[in-house]
Amino acid sequence: MEIAEKIEETAREFEERVRPQLDQAKKRLGAMNDEVIDYIKANPGKCLLGALAVGYIIGRIARR
Amino acid sequence: MAAESETRGNNNDREHRSSALKRQVSRIEQDAEDAWSRTRDVFSDISQSLDVKGRVNRHPYGTLAAAVGFGYVLGGGFFTPLTARILRLGFRIGVRLAVLPLLNDEAAGVINNLMGGESSSGGETPRPRGRGQRSNQSGQSQSSEGKVP
Repeated sequence: MEIAEKIEETAREFEERVRPQLDQAKKRLGAMNDEVIDYIKANPGKCLLGALAVGYIIGRIARR
Repeated sequence: MAAESETRGNNNDREHRSSALKRQVSRIEQDAEDAWSRTRDVFSDISQSLDVKGRVNRHPYGTLAAAVGFGYVLGGGFFTPLTARILRLGFRIGVRLAVLPLLNDEAAGVINNLMGGESSSGGETPRPRGRGQRSNQSGQSQSSEGKVP
């Protein structure tokens, strides 16, 4: 019983320690995603041409 | 007098040639402007019909992925082993996603039938499930083919 309680306690501590970091990482990722989407919406031509160029290069590499 | 008239004629000829050249140059300029405006119109028509900005606004990542795919095809990567591998992987994933739930349902039906057969000797018999009957998440069975005669 004691071992189980200890394991439970360590797991809880670990969760408490990790959860804020996870939340922060989630927030950061969300903000980054929003920034990327805003950039794509602000410069659609540039992004599409870049994507086209990237695909072209990948296709050329795959062709070899 | 003859020399004067000759020089006058030469001058007239030169002027005539230069004016003709000017006319040709202006015509070429106009043609070039027309061609440029037509090209611009065609591009604006294409962009309007494709609605690139709207598409990017609605599905930014999807449009970028489509552009990457288009570039990949343009780069000649379509008929390559890499494409075959990607398609095979996608097919496998799709088959797994589509077929596994059906197989699970069938297996559950068979197991239920078997259990029903065993427990029919004593106790309650669970209702056998045939083809076209699937259990939803609440455990109730529903017929997808309607009433079976």
